[in-house]
This record gives sequence, structure tokens and C-alpha cells, in this order.
Amino acid sequence: MAINKKEYLQEVLETHKMSHVNSLLDKYRDKRKSIKEALEDYYTDKIYSPLNSGSYAKHTAINTKFDLDVVVPFKKKSFSTLEEMFDDVFDFLNDTYGTEATVRKQKVSIGIIFYKDDDNHEISIDIVPGRELNEDQYNEDNKLNLYVNSKYGLLAEKTHLLTNIKAQIEHIKSKDNERKIIRLLKIWKSSNNEDYKSFLMELITVKAFDKDNISGNLWEMLESTMEYIRDNITKDGFTLSDPGNSGNNVADTLESWQKENLSTKMKNMLDRIEDNSDNLKIYFPVNPDFKEEDNTKSNEGYGVKTGASTFSVPTQNQRFG
Amino acid sequence: MDVEVQIPEGLLNKIVNAGIKMYPKEYGGFLIGFYSEDFKILHITETILPSEYRNSKYSFERSAKGIKGELKRLYSLNPKQYYVGEWHTHPDNSTQFSMTDLNAMIEITEYKTVGISNPTLMILSINKSGLNDFEFYVYNDKKLLRYE
Ligand SMILES: [Zn+2]
Repeated sequence: MAINKKEYLQEVLETHKMSHVNSLLDKYRDKRKSIKEALEDYYTDKIYSPLNSGSYAKHTAINTKFDLDVVVPFKKKSFSTLEEMFDDVFDFLNDTYGTEATVRKQKVSIGIIFYKDDDNHEISIDIVPGRELNEDQYNEDNKLNLYVNSKYGLLAEKTHLLTNIKAQIEHIKSKDNERKIIRLLKIWKSSNNEDYKSFLMELITVKAFDKDNISGNLWEMLESTMEYIRDNITKDGFTLSDPGNSGNNVADTLESWQKENLSTKMKNMLDRIEDNSDNLKIYFPVNPDFKEEDNTKSNEGYGVKTGASTFSVPTQNQRFG
Repeated sequence: MDVEVQIPEGLLNKIVNAGIKMYPKEYGGFLIGFYSEDFKILHITETILPSEYRNSKYSFERSAKGIKGELKRLYSLNPKQYYVGEWHTHPDNSTQFSMTDLNAMIEITEYKTVGISNPTLMILSINKSGLNDFEFYVYNDKKLLRYE
């Protein structure tokens, strides 16, 4: 029987959610604090105080998670170009954290992904460098120009104002999608006892998103990523550069037969799922340890009244206690 | 309901600061945001503070006077942003909602110009200098569900 692939994959992700939280938030905050201090010590009067811009997420069925970003506002005269600023911050973070984390250039930020600690916690924090738009005006207008990493050439504009909510939202969305696909591939890997490195799966997914303009629903994104792996991993000259050490091609950690294997596995999975969508369950099983909840209700999202739009004007006077 | 809410830390700080200024009285405002395409995630992006309100240590009454224009402007943005719920403080008190809070959410949801059927309620427990805790609830079918 055919299943709804998108909804099924959503369920897989939900049943594999991590369930460690409070101590994790403290760890995030500690790390973030130390990164901010390191940046302040290094850039001294070239910057204004770095600020937190991440978000807290709360879910009705699973634990809180964090997406903590740090915005680093540079003064107008600190660098002559936004690219120099971006590269300088990357170099500094890479020199400082390169031995304990993967440091990588992202669309508008530099990601620091710390290696897992003893509790198996993986902390990642994004650093967003920005340069004030008008000299000495940052404290008043809060306007910053961000560098947009040019390998993400799909973005029309080269720079964005941080106050431009759309740029921030695009950033959030693109990261959400990448992360979901990485998690699905990790679920495939561990459920099927594949011994590919998580790091490799992450890098290849990020590269697929870079190169292939991956979009659509969860299944469509997963399918495109798997197709990308199938079609590219065995190509001569295919590189996955280690963001922490750009000389290091992570694709080289696989022997050519292993690359062939990975490509074939992707092909087989795609073909079997094409034959029968139920096969998705073999490759991406739901978490058997997940406690059953009220499943009939679990697919409900936020609602909009029949015939209405999301536009709402609330009651004129309302009392709370 | 199987949904998530996200609030930027900067906005949380802004709300906390607005609440602390009114301590020891309650205070609150409107939550603005948008739902993800699959309606599973609410991204809160902004708050509108009421132009008129009455408050005491145990109650807060806000007016929506004058906000329609701002709501229209927000709805013309890309992505569209719209009214998604309410927040208020409980000074020196828990983040548990009161019956008055629940009734308020019922009235709001049933109100004719409200298009959304699951508005969010955020309650912040504050003291005179900071935040103790905050909680989000999502309204569904005469009940307020807590986000974990
Ligand atoms: Zn209340």
C-alpha cells in the first residue's frame, strides 16, 4: 500500500528527536559566552559588543531546542570589504576552535560545530559578522550589512541588512531543511548499520544543497539529496573539503569501492522506494523506542478557520489574569 | 496538536524588559509571527505593545485600539506576518495560566475577525529584575496545551 512519503518522513524525524535539554542549554550558553569573549579580546575596538540573536524553540511533543547565533557588529572602518571581514572572522575562529570543532563558512554566518562531548552532546553555534551601514550609527539604527557567501550564488543580492527580516528568515529556513535531511541520512546510517562517517553525510548534504538548489517537501528534498549522492560521489575530482582544514578532502576518506557502494546504495534505495513507497519504512524506520502518543492527533498543525485567512484582528478589549 | 514555536532571543529580551518596567504589575502585548508552510512551526517575529491598557498585580487588560493599520502593514510583508497570539507577565507568580487567561483565549479564538484557530499564549514569570521562567501554550478546542 502506498504511503504518504512526506508525512511518513516527518514522523521518522519526530520519533528520533533528541531528549536532552536543560544541561545542553547551559553548555550552549557557556560556549557562546566564551566565543563572544574571544572575539572581543581579539577585535577590541573594531567591533561593538557581540549580541545574541538565536532562538528558543518549544514543541508540544518534544523538548526545547536552541539555535543560538551570535551577531558580531563591526565598525564601518574595520574592513574595507565585507568579504575581508567574513574571511578574517573565519580565520580567527578556525585558528581558535579548529582543534575542538568543525568551523565552516555558511551562507551569511560561520558555523562552529563542536565535536561531541562525553554526554554525546553536539553543540553548534553560528557567528554572523556584520558591518555597520553608516559610520558610528550602529548604536542608533542597528543597521548592519552582512556578507553573503558567494558560493550561495542563488541569492540575488550580495549583501543584506540584518534588519531585513527576510534575509534572516531565509537563513532560518535553509538551515532547517539541511538539518532535517542530515538527520534522516543519519537515521538511515544507524538503522541500517552503515559505517559511513556522520561528518561525511553532513558535508555531502550541505554540498548537495549548495549545488543543486534543493527544495520541495521533505521527501522531495531527501530524494534530490540522495540523487545528488548517487550521481556525484563516484565522479573524478569530487571533493568534500573539510571546513576545519581546507586542504583535507573528506571524500578521500572513502576508497573508490566504498564510493561505488554508497552510490549503488542510494540508487537501490531510490529505485525500491520508487517501486513501492512502503519501502521507505525499511530504510528510514520510525524509532521503536518512541512512546506512542495520541497518533490520530499528531499530524495536526496550527489551524486556520474554514474560509478564513491567517489575517486576524483580535478582540478590542481583553482581560487576562 | 503537534506543533512547535520559535522565538528569537532578542525578542524574548525585549518582552522581558517591557514586562519588568511595569513590575510589580502585570503587562502584556500582541504576538506577531507566521506559520511554516506545513503549519507545524510558528516563528514569532515581533510584538506590538498596546496603546491603552489597565493593569494591577493580578490582572492585565489590553485594548486593540489602533493596531489594525500595523497588522495590515505586517501582512503585506514577505513572508506575511500576522497576529498569532498574546503574551503577559505574572509578576512573582508561576507561568500557569488562570481561568481568566483561558476564557480570554476562548473569546479571542471565537471572535469574528480572528482567522486563526490555534492562537498562542505566552506567560512570563518575572521578578523585579529579571525573568524567572516563560511558558508557551497553544489554544486548541477550549483547552490550552503546554509546549514542553
Ligand atoms: Zn495570566
